Amino acid sequence: MYHYNAFDQRFVEERVEQFRDQTRRYLAGELDDDTFTQLRLRNGLYMQRLAPMLRIAVPYGTLTATQLRTVAAISRDYDKGYGHLSTRQNVQINWPELQAVPDILADLAKAQMHCIQTSGNCIRNITTDQFAGVAADEAVDARPYCEIIRQWSSYHPEFDWLPRKFKIAINGAATDRAAIGVHDIGIAAHLGDDGSPRFDFHVGGGLGRTPVIGSLIRENLPEKHLLTYLEAILRIYNRYGRRDNKYKARIKILVRAMTAEKFRERVDDEWEHLRDGPSTLPEEEIQRIKACFEPPDYAPLHDETAFLAEERLRDPAFNTWMRNNVAPHKRSGYAIVTLSTKATGVPPGDVTDEQMEAVAAWSERFGFGEVRISHEQNFVLPDVPQRCLPELFGAACEQGLGQANIGLLTDMICCPGGDFCALANAKSIPVAEAIQQHFGDYDYLHDLGPLDLNISGCMNACGHHHVGHIGILGVDKRGEEFYQISIGGNQTQDASLGKILGPSFQRDEVPAVIEKILDVYVARRLDGETFLHTVRRLGIAPFKERVYAMPASTTPKHAPEEMLADVG
Amino acid sequence: MLVKDGRIVPDEWQLIDDGAARPGTIAPLEAWRTAPEGAGVWVESHAEVEDIAQEILTAPVVAVRFLAFNDGRGLSFGSLLRSRYAYGGELRAFGEIVPDLTAYMLRCGFNAFVLPDQHQAEVALACMNRMSDYYQASVREPLPPFRRATA
Repeated sequence: MYHYNAFDQRFVEERVEQFRDQTRRYLAGELDDDTFTQLRLRNGLYMQRLAPMLRIAVPYGTLTATQLRTVAAISRDYDKGYGHLSTRQNVQINWPELQAVPDILADLAKAQMHCIQTSGNCIRNITTDQFAGVAADEAVDARPYCEIIRQWSSYHPEFDWLPRKFKIAINGAATDRAAIGVHDIGIAAHLGDDGSPRFDFHVGGGLGRTPVIGSLIRENLPEKHLLTYLEAILRIYNRYGRRDNKYKARIKILVRAMTAEKFRERVDDEWEHLRDGPSTLPEEEIQRIKACFEPPDYAPLHDETAFLAEERLRDPAFNTWMRNNVAPHKRSGYAIVTLSTKATGVPPGDVTDEQMEAVAAWSERFGFGEVRISHEQNFVLPDVPQRCLPELFGAACEQGLGQANIGLLTDMICCPGGDFCALANAKSIPVAEAIQQHFGDYDYLHDLGPLDLNISGCMNACGHHHVGHIGILGVDKRGEEFYQISIGGNQTQDASLGKILGPSFQRDEVPAVIEKILDVYVARRLDGETFLHTVRRLGIAPFKERVYAMPASTTPKHAPEEMLADVG
Repeated sequence: MLVKDGRIVPDEWQLIDDGAARPGTIAPLEAWRTAPEGAGVWVESHAEVEDIAQEILTAPVVAVRFLAFNDGRGLSFGSLLRSRYAYGGELRAFGEIVPDLTAYMLRCGFNAFVLPDQHQAEVALACMNRMSDYYQASVREPLPPFRRATA
């Protein structure tokens, strides 16, 4: 874990006082709405449909037990006692009073936390693999580089007023759990031939109205050049990204307009001026940051293979949970546990203050006081002794965090949707709930195997619907909510964008449509073939046929054809 | 109201948007080119610094117009003009300038700011001094914290 030094602490404290002054001037009528909007967004504060929403930064999804307790206390004191885990590994609270926000920020600063750049057209929270540092399949621990970029991007003199928001992710493991293909900059960290960390830069990926997989523009960059190369990319984007149309302002549009090849040349020309300049990382600085992420004091434990096998036989529910929610750890005798927030009837990612307190306590009892948040909106306990897994499972079930559905259909990614968000065209949470209710049978879910179902309430794609194996997008047509369904998207390595099946459906039709899609999969899959691979092999035609083959007696309820024109 | 080098001072320059440049005026680039002697030059925030840097280096004032307060392109223009082309005269920000943004502009090499009134100018001075240090290298502070000698 990174711990603030005096410099970092003073920085967040001064930033709080700066925001306190901005809020005071706004309330006194000295700052106009437009200006204050931009200033408050850079401290994570949105004015939403019902009330403000404050997005608390959880840098690269890692926080201490103390920090999670701070968030729990804030949700109790200033909100209605719950928070929402976001797809950028942050935590959001709703309903804080504007006047109280400076005090909330001050409380956060005491716990080495902030809301800096969790919204606005600037560099957002750097995200990574929620298993970074402990994953068995990891080559490079991405966390020190995330922290280096966090510091560099905080209140950057030149790059805090970009054409549009800017998202950076780093993945250092064999499996890409950070979805680097759909980021403005996605960095693949790996070991070079000499054994030192190297970075491959993918630029111009993203979701939203124009979903694109990023282009590889630089391979094998040594770590000391990390910041100067980022500066070169950001400078080209800041200067030439479109500012006349917010739907064409992301870097992906610039990369496409210039072509990836030309963009790379521009970046390289700029980098020639910057490389080896003052932002080049000295070895001592890299080591200073890396030292914060040294492994904790692991006990010399042995794998508990026999004990766990016995427990799994004894308790089928534990067995299912072990299969889906527990991942292999670097160290023998330890395991990585994902605590699912996806219980039926609860909006995906929503957690109560009590659950946060419980997770904080477990992180101390079954680990070293560290908690992670995944971009799939779940909690992760990174260092659980294998011996303690049955006990943790029991405790998690009591708190409603024991769902054994990680990676399965009901472990959905879902944005807050029209219930909360001012941008949404349609509600997303009731759709998630209807699907969870429709597919409650664990045996069936397990038979289906790995399945990402992602729901967004509008084309901004906060629910990452394009890269769901099944994606659901809420659209508005003449004041009515409809849902468009795509299949074949994928967020991990070999990333792909889903293809739209056809005309959209009314909300109450969605679970039955999903069932028809799954029926085709179950009937046509080859031995051991996942849903994604079956879709890739067959194409969308057989799914489309099944979904739109309506019995003669039923009147099709789907939306008029022309609404598809909205979709890029 | 002009804030220059950390103080509120009378503005000795006259901004003109047409007619010929004369000493004591800040004129648009085209007009300035015809009579640069003793005149300042007005450029837009999205100007290609590479194309004009050499000719404007001699201007006593380079005034960059921000058409929107959140137009970050002017920040790159300022940084490049100072750090890559070593411009040493007055670098002025005018147009849609809000006090809170002057803190960024200052770090990108601007040393003069045109604000709507005395109060805004005073707020700008406070904004520029609010943070005691930053993580990055900038025109104002050429070394990031990790390269500075530790006391």
